[in-house]
Amino acid sequence: MPAGTTPRLRLGVVGIVVVSLFGVLLARLWYLQVLASPQFVAAADTNRVRQVVVPAPRGRILDRHGRVLVDNRYVNVVTVSRALVRERAAVLGRLSALLGVPVADLERRLDDKRFSPYKPVPVAEDVDDGVLVYVNEHQDLFPGVEATRIAVRSYPYGTLAAHLLGYIGQANDDDLKRLAGRGYRPGDTVGKTGVEKVYEDVLRGMPGVEKLQVDARGKVLGSLGSRPPVPGDDVVLTIDADVQRLAEESLALGLEAARAQFDRDTKKRFAAPAGAVVVLDPRDGSVLAMASAPTYDPARFLRPIPTAEFAASFQDPATHYPLNNRALQGLYAPGSTFKMVTAVAALRDGLITARSTVDDRGSFTVPKCRGKCVFRNAGGRAYGRVNVVRALTVSSDVFFYTQGYNFWARQGQLGPTALQDVARELGLGERSGIPLGPESAGRVPDPESRRRDHERYPHLFPEGRWFPGDNVNLAIGQGELLVTPLQLANAYATLANGGTLYAPRVAAAVRDREGRVQRTFAPVVRRRVALPPAIRDAVMAGLLGAVRDPSGTAHGAFAGFPLGQVPVAGKTGTAQVRGKQDTALFVAIAPATAPEYVVAVVLEEAGFGGAAAAPVARRILDGIAGLTPAAGVTYQGGVD
Amino acid sequence: VAVATTHRGAGASVRRDAAAPWRHVDLSLVLAVLATAGIGLALVYSATHKRAEVGLDPYTFLERQGVFVAVGVLVMVAVMAVDYRVVRDFAAVAYGGTLVVLAAVLSPLGSTSKGTQAWFQLGSFQLQPSEFAKVTIILSVAAYAAAHRGELDARRVVAMVGIVAVPAGLIYLQPDFGTALVFAAVAAGVLVVGGARPRHLAVLALVGALAVGGAMRLGLVTLADYQRDRLTAFLDPSRDTRRSAYNLNQSKIAIGSGGLTGKGYLRGPQTNLSYVPEQHTDFIFTVAGEELGFVGAGGILLLLGWIMWRTWRTAVLAKDLFGTLVCVGVLSMLAFQVFENVGMTMGIMPITGIPLPLLSYGGSSTVATFAAIGLVLNVHMRRFS
Repeated sequence: MPAGTTPRLRLGVVGIVVVSLFGVLLARLWYLQVLASPQFVAAADTNRVRQVVVPAPRGRILDRHGRVLVDNRYVNVVTVSRALVRERAAVLGRLSALLGVPVADLERRLDDKRFSPYKPVPVAEDVDDGVLVYVNEHQDLFPGVEATRIAVRSYPYGTLAAHLLGYIGQANDDDLKRLAGRGYRPGDTVGKTGVEKVYEDVLRGMPGVEKLQVDARGKVLGSLGSRPPVPGDDVVLTIDADVQRLAEESLALGLEAARAQFDRDTKKRFAAPAGAVVVLDPRDGSVLAMASAPTYDPARFLRPIPTAEFAASFQDPATHYPLNNRALQGLYAPGSTFKMVTAVAALRDGLITARSTVDDRGSFTVPKCRGKCVFRNAGGRAYGRVNVVRALTVSSDVFFYTQGYNFWARQGQLGPTALQDVARELGLGERSGIPLGPESAGRVPDPESRRRDHERYPHLFPEGRWFPGDNVNLAIGQGELLVTPLQLANAYATLANGGTLYAPRVAAAVRDREGRVQRTFAPVVRRRVALPPAIRDAVMAGLLGAVRDPSGTAHGAFAGFPLGQVPVAGKTGTAQVRGKQDTALFVAIAPATAPEYVVAVVLEEAGFGGAAAAPVARRILDGIAGLTPAAGVTYQGGVD
Repeated sequence: VAVATTHRGAGASVRRDAAAPWRHVDLSLVLAVLATAGIGLALVYSATHKRAEVGLDPYTFLERQGVFVAVGVLVMVAVMAVDYRVVRDFAAVAYGGTLVVLAAVLSPLGSTSKGTQAWFQLGSFQLQPSEFAKVTIILSVAAYAAAHRGELDARRVVAMVGIVAVPAGLIYLQPDFGTALVFAAVAAGVLVVGGARPRHLAVLALVGALAVGGAMRLGLVTLADYQRDRLTAFLDPSRDTRRSAYNLNQSKIAIGSGGLTGKGYLRGPQTNLSYVPEQHTDFIFTVAGEELGFVGAGGILLLLGWIMWRTWRTAVLAKDLFGTLVCVGVLSMLAFQVFENVGMTMGIMPITGIPLPLLSYGGSSTVATFAAIGLVLNVHMRRFS
């Protein structure tokens, strides 16, 4: 290397390198502090400010007399944020010592896959106040651990009205989609079913937000302001807790009584696995009680239920799906309870008058008929000359078969769906409009629906034509006719009140925490059904006879009931279901002179309506009438 | 050889007027160094004054760093007092002593902190020999290169690499990868200016690149987890906000949120809420960034740039090649440390534990930096003698 010249040149190279490095540093500094600064300013703010969402205590659910059916209880819980725990093993070790819970248990709960990784996972409930204070004062030892006091649901009446009240749980994707735009976050508490779900907006309240200044260790240095939570409002139901309890007890006892009976048709005891009761106030469509059996305990949903346990408890066919609210969702053939509808239709359309008679010789043969043409009374009885009142009292099938055929015979004058039209007017085959989904619509079949079903599903519905026999069958509530217990009760309520079909309501009012009424829910009239007093009186007379007359189908069930003071009208029903034992039904109206209660009872696979279902309604009416309800429900002999 | 003789003859005149060199001291460099150290004190205080909130003395770090700066100034003056050519004659002894001390710190005599065994505990102070080793190695390698002026063949280049590699290797064993890299930077600077042939430099650059690349691969086994995390975090800071990436994110947030003019001295929320780890030592630059903004942080960079410009200028003006190479060694050391340290706080360099000269809290680093500047001043003031 030539000495002398190059050191200077090489020093120049070094100088250029150093200047370049400084240029890079200054350029980067300019980028960070000037060009990209706003983004870092924002990041710095979120660094220092932690928003803590304080859930609002959920509103309570009260019965019509202000008794608290669903309340809140305050518990201390310890939660751990998976994302925030830096020294997981050490923190869990300390927590384990503090709580006296093995580390493995904490690990297991923390690894629960059902919790979002960004949501604190509850690892201990009902801890002492001392633990709460200790964790909060030693956040440096417990980074990511939170000890808070939260409100959880409590059920002072236990499982009472479980289906109607519904249960709550953590918001899942479906809930978040449904409630989009209302500030819900994954894991928030939401009503999942029943009143809890329908009146979510009222019950939820407004979650509070507290902005806390925190340092790098998560230590809270102070509050930067907060918005306290606004507790949810209370929902006052139309439900009467006493009637509800009566309904549930009586339903359970009725099923139990039926299970003790031997079914001569199937040569085994009745299965009687399930049923429903609806009690309506026909004057305004208020639901006084709504029971579905089997039932469940809403308190089980306070903690997430493991999938396997959920399936075993609620989805196994052997459990008979206790989460289903059969009062709204159960679909049943109404059997003879539908004769009320046929009677109204026949009288209104002039097929008969109150005095018209049919000679019931035990069977009805469809004229000019091929195939199945002879329809018999249940039990093969013959009632002789019966008018509509008598026919309802003794539940003469032949009388109503005749009406069904006459609707067919006179379709040129009345149209092909005259009977169905009246059924639909009375609310069958359509959702009742009760604000308590999901609800089944039911089905009122007619020639058009038959044709449509056949075209759509030729294998399931091989026959696309509507025969006179279909009308005959429909007239006594069989065939493809399906109704929900609520629809049935509502149809009878319409008869009882003289023709007003209400959309049943379960909520009467919303009240704030101080008891001030915020909002009331007025009765909702769906339609007025033409029901001239003469027609109503004739049908009511028939229903009164069914209970009062010694030949009435429900007479036995009401033996000893003070019908003089509280006259009861009712109609039994026994529906045949292919592959199953008969469904027992009964609908009662009381007091018949000025109706205040309509009680619909449906018992699956329990036999005759008069034998199994009427005693259930009787026991409920005992309680309503101020009598001491019997300890059990007595299964009655008898027919229909 | 003839030129060297002339130098020695000129050196004889020093004895006639002992005060003469002091009239040629580079005052602007002295002032820049003192100003930087003063700013360092202010930043250290800002980074640590919130200790008062937890009941600790807020002045502890300020006072200790004040002592370090005072000791550093004394050491600087002492280094200036002895003609650097006399110092050169003891380079071999200093080199041997350095190796012994670096070996000793790895023995049970040394103490460990945060996984690195790099300190001797002396009462309440910790002495970090690797910081002082930087200075002795600059002297040693410059002396060797100057002694073989114009004759740096392959064998001598290897020897120079060896002179640096042995102490660097001992430091790497502590393990302190960052300081070991400083040695590589020093060696590179001295080799380039000392006259290594371009061919050899190219080979060394290639070998160095392969070695670093291989170290990254083998890093899986030879680097501790925390080291690997820190080295690779800058490649993808959003990957993991814990550990090192957390450092980096918070560091960038602190600097970025400072904006053009900063949040004001002692008023940086990131700093006051201790979001940036190691803020008074390795991440001291973030205090300047957040509280003083681009104006202040850029000003500090210009001040450091001024120090380096004066060092480079002294290298050019030096009376002899040894003086030039000492200055180049110091320049390489400072430039690498500044670029690596500031670059790391801004996310363009990997995170390694290298202090920012004159600004980071730390006794050994502060005193050693003053000693190195003292050497530069020494060369400068004797450029005529």
